Amino acid sequence: MRTPALTQGLERIPDQLGYLVISEEGVLASAGELENDEHTAGVIMQMVRTACRFRLQGAAEPPFKRISDFVYTVTVSGQKVFVVKRQNNQHAPVTV
Amino acid sequence: MEATLEQHLDETMKHPAIVGVLVTDQQGHNLGCRGSLSDEHGGVVSVLAKQAAGLSKDPTDSPTVCLESDTGNVLVRTHGSITVAVHKMAC
Repeated sequence: MRTPALTQGLERIPDQLGYLVISEEGVLASAGELENDEHTAGVIMQMVRTACRFRLQGAAEPPFKRISDFVYTVTVSGQKVFVVKRQNNQHAPVTV
Repeated sequence: MEATLEQHLDETMKHPAIVGVLVTDQQGHNLGCRGSLSDEHGGVVSVLAKQAAGLSKDPTDSPTVCLESDTGNVLVRTHGSITVAVHKMAC
């Protein structure tokens, strides 16, 4: 399940093992180890909704930009949630 | 036990990059906190840790969740029956 414009950047992330692009309507794209992984998509959407309720005193919205979880990196952008499963062995910034 | 926990919380806060620390039980009740993290964060912290555990097939796995933002990173991890959250400023 691939949508080229949506996933072009995700394909080029180093050590990427798989990805999911999710909206409120459901999974828009998936590949690799996360291909058709509805369970992971569901859990991560629950976590995003929980994290959105986290408010630090005096902090402006949004409460977070990214969740790094295990080796899943979850980024919320617009109305979509981008999930990339990566090998967790590098600390260098990503150059895409 | 409470005195030891309070001591650990104070020790943690001595680290210059750490601005908040919170310890909750499995129900999200606050067992102790310092700085930017308080009672109101207990529920969200324990639920996030529980949801993250659902990502792994191994029930003994204890993942670390990191919420990243301009106001620093909040790291959440369960140790046995308690969940610890640390609010750390990005260096």
